[in-house]
Order: sequence, then C-alpha cells, then structure tokens
Amino acid sequence: MILLLVIIMVGPFVWMVSTSFKKSSDVFTEAPNLLPISKNTGKLYFTVENFKIVLKYGEISKAFINSILVATSATILNLLINSLAAFGFARLNFPGKNIIFMILLSTMMIPFYATLIPMLYITKLLGMYNSLAGLVIPMCASVFNVFLMKQFFQTIPQEMEDAACIDGCSRFGVYWRIILPLSKPVLTVVGITTFIWHWNSYTWPLVLINDPKHYTLPLQLALLVSGSGSRYNYMMAAATMAVVPILIVFIVFQRYLIQGIVLSGLKG
Amino acid sequence: MIKATTREKIAGYLFILPLLVYVGVFLIAPAVMSLFFSMTQWNMRTQPIWIGIENYKELVFNHVKYPYFGHSFWITIKYVLMAVPMGIGSGFCLALLINSVKREKTESFFKVAFYLPVITSSVAVAAIWKWIYDSRYGLLNIFLTKLGFEGQNWLGDARTALFALAVLAMWGCGVTMIIYLAGLKGISPQFYEAAKIDGASALASFWYITLPLLRPVTFFLIVTNVIASFQVFEIIYVLYGAGGGSYGGPNNSTLTYIMYLYNHAFRYGEMGLACAMSFILFILILILTILQFKILPQSYD
Repeated sequence: MILLLVIIMVGPFVWMVSTSFKKSSDVFTEAPNLLPISKNTGKLYFTVENFKIVLKYGEISKAFINSILVATSATILNLLINSLAAFGFARLNFPGKNIIFMILLSTMMIPFYATLIPMLYITKLLGMYNSLAGLVIPMCASVFNVFLMKQFFQTIPQEMEDAACIDGCSRFGVYWRIILPLSKPVLTVVGITTFIWHWNSYTWPLVLINDPKHYTLPLQLALLVSGSGSRYNYMMAAATMAVVPILIVFIVFQRYLIQGIVLSGLKG
Repeated sequence: MIKATTREKIAGYLFILPLLVYVGVFLIAPAVMSLFFSMTQWNMRTQPIWIGIENYKELVFNHVKYPYFGHSFWITIKYVLMAVPMGIGSGFCLALLINSVKREKTESFFKVAFYLPVITSSVAVAAIWKWIYDSRYGLLNIFLTKLGFEGQNWLGDARTALFALAVLAMWGCGVTMIIYLAGLKGISPQFYEAAKIDGASALASFWYITLPLLRPVTFFLIVTNVIASFQVFEIIYVLYGAGGGSYGGPNNSTLTYIMYLYNHAFRYGEMGLACAMSFILFILILILTILQFKILPQSYD
C-alpha cells in the first residue's frame, strides 16, 4: 500500500528522467524499461543526445538563461520591497497603519485571472509589453510575503534595536544592519518560494511575450509538448531541465520550506 | 505606546511606499479597471465603447452568440466535483501515512517526495502526463493491458479527458497533505490516551476524535481547493490549446471557465467580454471567501 503510494507520487519523475536518457529507438517498447536499456543488445546506457538536441534546436538554452534572469531579478526585488514594507508595518508607528495593512490583506482575495487583462493593459501602457522587464516588474512584490515577514520581524526583541541605537543609527540602519541579518530564515523561505514561482510561471509570460527570443523555459517547453507529436525523449529531456534544478533547491532547503507551506496554506 | 514623532511617521510611509505603489498600480487599479472594461466593447487596441451591462446579458442569455458559456461553467463544476474530493482524500491518506511513521528521517523523506509534484511547473506536469497517458506507448495503458484491461485514449476521448485531468489534481495534493499533517500533529495525545483507558478501539478513536477535530481544517481545505480548481487553466491549455489545437479538448469536454475566458480575450479579441467573465469569477470567489470567514471559528487562525 505504502509502496504503491510512493510509486504513484515519485514514479512519474523517475520515468521522466529515464526517458530523457533513452534513444528514440528505445522509447517505444511494448514492455517499458525503467532504465535506458538497449532493445537490441540489452545493455544499460545513458545518452545525452536528447539534451544536446533540445538545447541546440529547441532554443532551450536561450530560454534557460531568460528564466534565470527573470526569476533572479524578481526574487531580489521581492525580497527588497516586501522586507522594507514589512519593517515599516512591524517596527514603526504612523497614522493609518492598521487600516492600510487591512486593505493590503484584503487585496489577497483578488484572483489572478480576474485582473489579468487590465494588468496586461497597464504593462503595455508602461511600455513593458513583450519584454523581460514586463515579466518582472508587475510581479515584483507580494502582500502575502509582507505578512509573513512582518510576523517574523515582530518576534525580534525591541532591546536588540535599542542597544544598537544608543550609538545612534538611522531607521534604515536598524532595518539593514539589525533586522535583516537576524531574519535569514524568513528571507530564505520568501526568496526560494518566489524563485520557484517565477521559474514555473506560465500564464503571465504566455500573454505578455510573443517574441521567441524572450521566451522563458515554460513557454519553450510548452511548444515542445504541443508541437513534437510523440518525440517523448526530447520532451522529457526539456522537462527534466525545467524540473530538476527546482527539485534540488527544494530538497536542500526543505526544512525551512515545509514550515512556510503550513503558514502559507493556512493564510490561503 | 509612545507617540510617534514626525520623523518616524515620514520614515514609516517611506518604508511602505514601494509596496503601496506596486499594489496600487498592479492590483487595485486592474481590479477597478476590470469592472469598467466589463461594461465596454473593447479589443485593447482601440478606444473602449461603453455598452453598460450588455456583455453580462449577452453571456448569460444569448446562446447563439456564446453557446459555451453555460457549458464551460458546467465543465468546471464537474471538474471541481472530481478534483477536490480526490485531492483532499489522497492528501488526507498521505498525511495519515506520514503521521504513523515514527522515524524522523523517513518522515521528512515522505514529506519531500510527496510534495515534489506541487513545485513542478504545470507545463512539465502536462509533459510528463501526456507521456504517461499516451494511448499506444504510455505507461498507464501498457500497465492496464498487462492486467487484462483495455487501454484508453485517455486525453483524446471526450468521456475520459476531464477525469484524466482531475487525476492530476490528486497528484498535486502536497499542500493539502502538509496542512492535514499539521492538523494531526496539533491533536493532543491526551485525547487518545483517555480513549484508550476507556477501552476505545483504534478505529473508534479515529472516528470520534481524529475526524471531528480535523473538521475545521477539512472545511478550510475544501474552500481553498474549490477556489483553486475552479481556476484550472495552465495544464489544460498546454495539453489542448498551445499548439493551435481544438482549444476545448475533445468535443469541448475540457473547455473550463478560464479556458473559455482565455479564448474570448486572446483569440477573438473580445477583451470587454472577457473582463465581464473575470468579474463574475471575482464575485464567485469573493462569496466563497466570505463564507469561509463566516463559518470558520475565529480561534483557528
């Protein structure tokens, strides 16, 4: 029973990776081989031919670079804007603070698809249609992540701040030198989830980008999925390249991330 | 609380300014504009023409011009009715399984393994399952044939396509699993000990302690899962639309609400009409969210 569950959940990934190493002649077999084994000789082999081909002809290498650029810059911007705001809400007093925060929280109820078209229109007006900037700027902050960071900042004792400020440092100094270095766990969670989100993002690039040279990995992969008929070994090679980096990041940081999932799930 | 100085006030506003600009420009303005555009005839290139509630009326009543509006609604509801129970059911089973594991290493292995599909991009999910569902060489059909069943053209047949897609929701039940797991860990062991002393069987304590205590979690998960499944789009688009395919799947059997919205916005250029559909979606989700806040006890936060 347990074994069956594990097979269903993990099996497709194994199948994806193994297909990506197979030669075309060994992809379509009546009895599926879990490992790339030659039909004729019965020997185990790994070919990187599929990866070479999709990198060369599938424009995957260009898309890979675009995806890294977009996801990295969006993550940095997100960390900066969200943490600045979270610091303001957690540590400073100003009139209207609570009302502003409530309004911000209520915007989380707006579904993405409900604002998709006007968002595209505004991005066009700002001259970012069909550009990598257009993939980053309209997604450069997240109210939910502000909430997450605010909760964390509030747990840092006020004394830390006071002690540092006897020597007289600015508000920005407190944020930059004291709060941020103490907040590595929450910054890690927000950073990685944002990166993964942008890396996987599909709908927004789909409606924004029409020039193949700005295509991100999901756009390029989708072309392979719908276009290649049944060249599954190429498709799986491209999918492996899209999935495996994220899986590794996730596995390395899983301890932090699972905590974050519980929180984000609960807040919806 | 000490009264805020003027300097602090200014500093406070400066810190939140970037976020406020972002939310104003990319969240609140589009939401308001969506309502405005929904009352216009507009294709994003020319000036919008004000037509009042005509878009809404046409969508609901003009079955000749928009034959699939009701149909797409019905398809989406069918999808939700399949995907949500399967997703919540399998998430719950996985959580129970992990909770019964005693070794910490094994536990975190399962957690990570079962969560992986969630962080996989929907395009890659579509790619992997297209291969598994392949009617001739797909893993599933080969397996079924071995067991003596007849293979199906899972994604190409109007009778099975929507169900085959809903199964993918089951595969991505990692979030549900993690939240159930947190819920299970939150139940005090004292309850179970007390039940044991009173001579209750394991099944009875599961039925009378575990299930009732998880009710708020289940309710929360149902609402959030319904909201998410109602907006299913990316995987279906990759499988049926991206290559200039039929866009609605075999016999329009996978033409979900967002898919229909996308068609009108980006294939037919009816942005005004699509905004009307967006606004209807927004109201539906708003109702669900309010319902959730009304029914869920406040302590659960």
